[in-house]
Amino acid sequence: MDAYEKLEKVGEGTYGKVYKAIEKNTGKIVALKKTRLPEDEEGVPPTTLREVSILRMLSIDPHVVRLLDLKQGQNKEGKTILYLVFEYMDTDLKKYIKSFRANHSLIPSKIVKTLMYQLCKGIAFCHGHGVLHRDLKPHNLLMDRKTMMLKIADLGLSRAFTVPMKKYTHEILTLWYRAPEVLLGATHYSTPVDIWSVGCIFAELVTTQPLFAGDSELQQLLHIFRLLGTPNEQVWPGLSKLPNWHEYPQWTPKNLSTAVPTLDTNGLDLLSKMLQYEPAKRISAKKAMEHPYFDELNKAYL
Amino acid sequence: MAANFWTSSHYKQLLDPEQVDVVNPIDKEKGLTPEEFKLIKIHMTNHIWRVAQQVKVRQRVIATAVTYFRRVYTRKSMTEYDPRLVAPTCLYLASKAEESTVQARLLVFYIKKMCPDEKYRFEIKDILEMEMKLLEALDYYLVVFHPYRALLQLLQDANMTDLTHISWGLVNDTYKTDLILIYPPHMIALACIYIASVLKDKETTAWFEELRVDMNVVKNISMEILNFYESRIEAFKGIPEAYKSMTEEKINAALNKLAMK
Repeated sequence: MDAYEKLEKVGEGTYGKVYKAIEKNTGKIVALKKTRLPEDEEGVPPTTLREVSILRMLSIDPHVVRLLDLKQGQNKEGKTILYLVFEYMDTDLKKYIKSFRANHSLIPSKIVKTLMYQLCKGIAFCHGHGVLHRDLKPHNLLMDRKTMMLKIADLGLSRAFTVPMKKYTHEILTLWYRAPEVLLGATHYSTPVDIWSVGCIFAELVTTQPLFAGDSELQQLLHIFRLLGTPNEQVWPGLSKLPNWHEYPQWTPKNLSTAVPTLDTNGLDLLSKMLQYEPAKRISAKKAMEHPYFDELNKAYL
Repeated sequence: MAANFWTSSHYKQLLDPEQVDVVNPIDKEKGLTPEEFKLIKIHMTNHIWRVAQQVKVRQRVIATAVTYFRRVYTRKSMTEYDPRLVAPTCLYLASKAEESTVQARLLVFYIKKMCPDEKYRFEIKDILEMEMKLLEALDYYLVVFHPYRALLQLLQDANMTDLTHISWGLVNDTYKTDLILIYPPHMIALACIYIASVLKDKETTAWFEELRVDMNVVKNISMEILNFYESRIEAFKGIPEAYKSMTEEKINAALNKLAMK
């Protein structure tokens, strides 16, 4: 690990610290993700192996954070440490949104659009390679303020999926961006769970406020129902068979524009397609990229 | 692990036939012959299989482990990477990558139970150390595709599900060769179907034509599989017991050349 010099700690990931560092030979700034191997007798955690092998496969897309290198090292106690060397990005979407919210200003709609397009493109790439992210949130979307480049990071919870879908552990997503089928205990979920998260992030980019900020699974569902109406078998066939489904207060759907008043008609249409209750009806990332909302973008540069 | 083979690191890592089955210079210096090299790989494939049976993992975990094992020795020497330790560690790594983790202490326990030979026995720390070395040797590429799923789909499509049993067994046996490092999994599946159909006197020409795959490749793979069987029968001479003790002797002699542990 002598090849890099740590500059500062920039974050704490799910299972290790992240440092800004400099590659001594080249002067290149990188992000070092330090994965300390646990004390128990089970070697490299499967989550780390999964992230590494998925990144090895996906880290060729411009909208997936680039894994530059992997290094093994040792800490002072002689324990083995795995370093994941990533390209350095100066901010993430969470910080970016916060900077606008703090000023009581909105992110220019053109910027929202270019960020959303890159997000859809990156997700389409992951889904096309058989990988679900499962934990999309602004904090996991890295950004370069100068170029407005967006990259998807933290694929630690993602896993490759095979068809037919099997049961995944469902205690995974941050509540605010969690799809209703996951909240309702569905065990067979797929790519639409990521699209729901993308929809929530879309609304948050427009208003700088989280769309559904629940602090428990029930609260989260009620937040969703209050805006989109309490779902029923007509809008979502099979709903009543989901494990956590029971009787909920009845709300009628509100107009989406009440939640995102500054979003234009095309944007509202795309958002509504991302927030469909029935997972199969939710727009795919690939289809989303072709939506008229993005027509005015110069996609060649993204 | 992932759904799309063509975009995977496995696809990009396929090797030319000339790149596999090459004895590493360090091993060569110790006198290891290509035949012995091949024999050790077959023997250790069986070892992985037997250990896997004890710890009860799915077929694809075994297949992934064997693929790692064979990939390692296209890059590393057996002198430096003791196959008797690499084999169980590959199984350990594969169980994690395929999301059905087997605890290292279980592996250690069963190997001790199975193997009277002290040279096959290792401690947990040996496996954990080797795990890190293998990750580097494999360059952290862990996603591997196998012929099994393609096989079932193709048999369904060809309306030949009665060949499932025999062709599945053929696929299993392909892991005693380096085919998985050279050819796309669905081509290996097709070769196994081809052999099975010939053995069972099934007419498949029309179906293969419709698939528009390169039949030369299918036939090359088939030839390799048949060669593998033939070489075993050759050594066999119809006397299973004699063959068994003879190969064991040969394997021990080969491993002793490498003088490890």
